[in-house]
Amino acid sequence: MKIGLEVHVALPTKTKLFCSDLAYENQEEPNSNVCPVCLGLPGAKPVLNQKALEISAGIAKALNCEIGEKTWFVRKVYFYPDLPKGYQITQLDGAIGIKGYVDLNGKKIGIRRVQIEEDPARIIREKDYSLIDFNRSGVPLNEIVTEPDIASLEELKGFIEELRSILYYQGVNINQELKTDLNISLAENRVEIKNVTGVRNLIAAAEYEIKRQSALIKEGKEISLETRSYREDENETVSSREKETEEEYGFTFEPDLTFYDTTKLAMQKAVIASNAAKELADINEYNEKTIRELVLFNKRNLSLLEGISKEEFKKGVSLIEKFASFGIEDYSEEEFMKMLKRDVSSIEKDSFLQLLGRSNKTEEKADKEEIESGIKEMLYLDKTLLERGINDGKAMSFMIGKVKEKYHVTGKEAADFIQKVIKSMLNN
Amino acid sequence: MTGKFLSLKGEGYNGFVSQLKHANEKLDAFNFIDEKEKNGKIISVKDNICVKGMPATASSKILHGYIPGFNATAIERLENSGFSVIGKTNMDEFGFGSFGLNSEHPAKNPYNEEYVTGGSSSGSAVATALIKEHVSIAESTGGSISAPAAFCGVVGLTPTYGAISRYGLIDYASSLDKIGFMGKGADSIREVMEKTVGSDPKDTTSLSKAISNKNTHKLYVIDNLMGGIDEGIKDRFEGLLAKLSAKDYEIEHVKIDYLEYSVPAYYILSMSEASTNLAKYQGFKYGFKVKDFSLNYNDFFMSARKQFGKEAKRRVILGTFIRSKSIKQKYYEKALAIRHAIIARMGKILKEGFIIMPTMPIFTPKISEVSDISPVEAYSMDMLTVPPNLCGFPHISFPYFYERGMPLGAQVITDHFNDYSLLDFLSEWESGFEYKFKEEVG
Repeated sequence: MKIGLEVHVALPTKTKLFCSDLAYENQEEPNSNVCPVCLGLPGAKPVLNQKALEISAGIAKALNCEIGEKTWFVRKVYFYPDLPKGYQITQLDGAIGIKGYVDLNGKKIGIRRVQIEEDPARIIREKDYSLIDFNRSGVPLNEIVTEPDIASLEELKGFIEELRSILYYQGVNINQELKTDLNISLAENRVEIKNVTGVRNLIAAAEYEIKRQSALIKEGKEISLETRSYREDENETVSSREKETEEEYGFTFEPDLTFYDTTKLAMQKAVIASNAAKELADINEYNEKTIRELVLFNKRNLSLLEGISKEEFKKGVSLIEKFASFGIEDYSEEEFMKMLKRDVSSIEKDSFLQLLGRSNKTEEKADKEEIESGIKEMLYLDKTLLERGINDGKAMSFMIGKVKEKYHVTGKEAADFIQKVIKSMLNN
Repeated sequence: MTGKFLSLKGEGYNGFVSQLKHANEKLDAFNFIDEKEKNGKIISVKDNICVKGMPATASSKILHGYIPGFNATAIERLENSGFSVIGKTNMDEFGFGSFGLNSEHPAKNPYNEEYVTGGSSSGSAVATALIKEHVSIAESTGGSISAPAAFCGVVGLTPTYGAISRYGLIDYASSLDKIGFMGKGADSIREVMEKTVGSDPKDTTSLSKAISNKNTHKLYVIDNLMGGIDEGIKDRFEGLLAKLSAKDYEIEHVKIDYLEYSVPAYYILSMSEASTNLAKYQGFKYGFKVKDFSLNYNDFFMSARKQFGKEAKRRVILGTFIRSKSIKQKYYEKALAIRHAIIARMGKILKEGFIIMPTMPIFTPKISEVSDISPVEAYSMDMLTVPPNLCGFPHISFPYFYERGMPLGAQVITDHFNDYSLLDFLSEWESGFEYKFKEEVG
């Protein structure tokens, strides 16, 4: 069995790949985060988002890729209504990373290429017409292309888990946005399942397709070379009935951009948490599985465990588990080190919090009604605050500060509460 | 007509505009004339450069109705320096042409309306010949400033590639397109150029390097380029060289390898890029709009693309062919190699002095003489203007002789970022030469 993937992930940048429109924030109103560049208007030119380049280089490095001194872009030419320029700016020979791998318990799954590219616009299909929302046009993506090295469903699951952890350490959350083209061949002919959304669907599509192809082989039937799509509701793959011709995109150098020097990029450290977990477990003679669970998706735990000695290690692990069991997520390094000196093995939550210096009472967030009535009271006491309202930055930050302090909510939560209360008071 | 240049000084802007419109009925220099009162110095702008609030069609039906909401950086900088845009000038569709004929209403040569203007910046050359105190902001990809400057008897400067931001320029071939200038002499062009140069955060290929004026009295003539030139042109050009020798210029003859491949290399690269730059015209967001939304996307798309003129279609088809996987190495990559080889060889010579040559290999042809020639014959007319354009070297075309009432142009090339030396050279030439602009039109 051969499985290969083309995985698309969105990069955590503030703005789009080639213009300064917001990439993720304020997207409610369709076609509101658009400009001549991402609408492809005649005369506009792309300018590369440096941050997207840095993040991509970090990802390529974490996937053990070779990173050339120069990276550059190409135009992939095809016509579709969601593609405003008639071509997508992407990468090929000059891709940010090539020839990498992911280590899966000793087996290397090859990474052919990590390429930077722009997302097309979003098509909203209605019954007898379609709409296009260009807010998504130009959102920065990485396409990660693997070799067909994945040999079983278990390996596929393992690979995705590992990839998820590697990308998490680069600031990318594949739970939020993941689009995959999946290639599976149990026999000679390759079947491609295009545009599978999310991790769960990816595994389900692969599972279905493996069963389907196995059944055909058992019956002595031939598996045809084709493109299929995955239907989430029926949990099945169906033939897309596309003509299987060789794709011709007329790739050509993107002359509106240049060659970018990768040698001086501010890159994130490439962290392979599973390797780090194995190392930690080996050095400290500890169960690897436990360490993996603690560090795979938690950067703080990894740095805390790396920072303590072998003698303290076991205690450190149980302390982290303690924090978790008490539902405390925002512990700092100082708090961790402070508690490490104590014996907390059989301690109850209340005393734990006291030792930590957070009393139980203040730790618990006040409930909604309490906060809202508290804000109302504050506004009644100081009427000018209400008059100055939410558009006055100074008044707003004063109120946010008060609410944060009193009710132990985040700044954003405080702001939301205040806005809600002010709106309701103004409406009455 | 009055026998004078059209001028703002005199009857005010309204009078000027009505004269200009009258002249334009005959000569088709402008696609659009702005009637709003202008103050300060005036410029006209080639119709493939975006001016906020004015139509930008690149003389293509597919862009009819497109009014950009933003200024090209060059225009923004000029408006901030007190210049006003009076209108948008005619051109070959998207810049595809050497004679100005690939337009719905081709511009006419101001010296004689039976003759071509040259292209693709045809209207900019005619406007420059007509209007007294004015510079036209034009654009060259493979010779689109030099050719019409030569045929219409004006000065055309094509700057170093990257010296002037391309932001707001409707692309033909992005790695070759250069915004440049047409004027009646060195000084007016210098003034406008100084206001527009410099890197632009909106155009990645714009460069911040300072522009110098390292002057030289050494002029190189490239012998292997002179082969395909009309005998009469050769003879008049010899006359120019003799005059320059008398002015202390040292003339040296050289041969530059691969230069004879510059025209095919240029057309391969430019068509390849053009075919992708024209992919954005799909008939539903701006410009020409397909009205029938019941069509499926392929048919919808095809009915939009029918609006392209013949030469645009030809270049999209050839360019798409050139980019196809199976033959890319055969043409595109060889063309790139030729380009690099020529840049290196010309660059070496240009470190030592200017290169000088006639601008066009033929006398200005009549429209009837060239309207039916084959594309390959038409492309070969660019043999002298293509080399500096292919390599991004700055060059200037200026009138040096008048024959049977028609001007002849010569072209001087210098090294990258030494653009101002060309204007110094021209100032020196102008001091001993009388331009005969065609002021009487009618």
